[in-house]
Amino acid sequence: MNDDIDLDRVWVNVAAQVWRRHPGRPERLAARLLRSPGLARALFTTPSLLLPWLIASVLVLGVGALTQVGAGQPLVWLLAPAVAAVGIAYSYGPGLDPAWELSCSMPVSDRLVLLTRAVAVFAVNAVLGLAASAAALGTHAWAGAITAQLTFAWLLPMTAACALALAVAVAVRSAVAGAAAGVGAWLALVLAHSAIDHGAVDHGAADHGAASGSLTDAALASAVTDANLYLPYLAVAACCAAVVFFATRSQRGLL
Amino acid sequence: MNIELTDVTRTFGRNKAVDGVSLAVGPGVFGLLGPNGAGKTSLLRMLATVLPPSSGTLRLLDRDPGRAGARTEIRRRLGYLPQSLGYYPSFTVAEFVEYFALLKEMPAHQVPKAVATAVERVELGPRAKARLRTLSGGMLRRVGIAQAIVNDPDLLLLDEPTAGLDPEQRVAFRSLIRDLGQQATVVVSTHLVEDVGAACTEVALMAEGKVVFRGTPGELTARGEGHEVGDSALERGYSAVLAAARKQVHA
Repeated sequence: MNDDIDLDRVWVNVAAQVWRRHPGRPERLAARLLRSPGLARALFTTPSLLLPWLIASVLVLGVGALTQVGAGQPLVWLLAPAVAAVGIAYSYGPGLDPAWELSCSMPVSDRLVLLTRAVAVFAVNAVLGLAASAAALGTHAWAGAITAQLTFAWLLPMTAACALALAVAVAVRSAVAGAAAGVGAWLALVLAHSAIDHGAVDHGAADHGAASGSLTDAALASAVTDANLYLPYLAVAACCAAVVFFATRSQRGLL
Repeated sequence: MNIELTDVTRTFGRNKAVDGVSLAVGPGVFGLLGPNGAGKTSLLRMLATVLPPSSGTLRLLDRDPGRAGARTEIRRRLGYLPQSLGYYPSFTVAEFVEYFALLKEMPAHQVPKAVATAVERVELGPRAKARLRTLSGGMLRRVGIAQAIVNDPDLLLLDEPTAGLDPEQRVAFRSLIRDLGQQATVVVSTHLVEDVGAACTEVALMAEGKVVFRGTPGELTARGEGHEVGDSALERGYSAVLAAARKQVHA
């Protein structure tokens, strides 16, 4: 019999097995894809990718899709960029992550975590938006002509709204500010652009001796369908990406 | 030397938090003493590669943290307990320590045992599966220490590690850092003089962003002879050096 058994060592080995967390299949897959278990773990702790948040996003877009089917209001395309912008603002950052200071001293770069989480949140919201969009489209005559355009066109403003939300959240160090900026800017743009579009329609109708009522669905959707806005959306997204890059540069707060 | 600072300065706007500090520190437990606002936390954040110096040169573990590749290598061998440890309330103790072990890029197969060892070393074994939101302030501090030591770091930086610990836990903590200091460089920033006396092999005292004393705890004690402010010999030494430094600044 060996009397020199190191019970502490035995216990540590037992504890290691008892306390160990068993990552799910998606996390294991992400670890393999990202080639970093740390980055995968950081991804799966993203607040806006947790189940309650995802359920909330599905509910909002689901209600949007139902409203669109029922009343013909183009809600999915208006909601999707806003929902995604909030999700992105709440993905990662100094105003959100309680252990931000500690995260900044880790070999897995905080910029990489930010990028991974932002891409994942964007992809999830894009998929949810596309599903809602596909479910709601084709039910109204006005949508028929622009179905293909509308199915994908909102991805561009969504990119711009998300980039703006992320840039503000990172620069101001506040997830609330980022979400407010993304949603606010998108809302302001939709209303302003649809008012302009509606004015043009009204003017045309008056020329023909007719009058139109409140904002039309097509006017509301014009922030998505107007091809003239595509380039500005891309420009905004590029500028915001540059802001994020600058705000997370190594010599600002971090080495 | 694991830490080499040459004329390091860090400014925030017009405020000079760290003012021309030069230090070389090897393995052992190094105490960083000073009153609030002396610049200890800013210095520690620079050592943790969280904050770059405004000027001067900094080398950690024989590497330049200004270079991305070297910085990553330093961070793999670094343990850091910030003054204010943010935590995820829904994580368990073991999950929190595991999270940072993974972010420190430890090989995945080594992580469970490293987590168990770190949790046991801070005597949190019975609470390993407890959610962080259910823990007391002292326990959370120990969770912070556990994540800092999980990778068996060569450079361990602890900012006010004994805040919230009861006397018994502080005694156990001092024993732990003495043990860690056998191999690694442990820097303990504190304003609790007795922690330094009991655990540190060397001490630096900071005031107004500058290092105004460097020596052994015994040498600091000797500076207090004839000085009346302070309840212990070491406190009298601390007060005497601080008073002299303030007089020099105001002169």
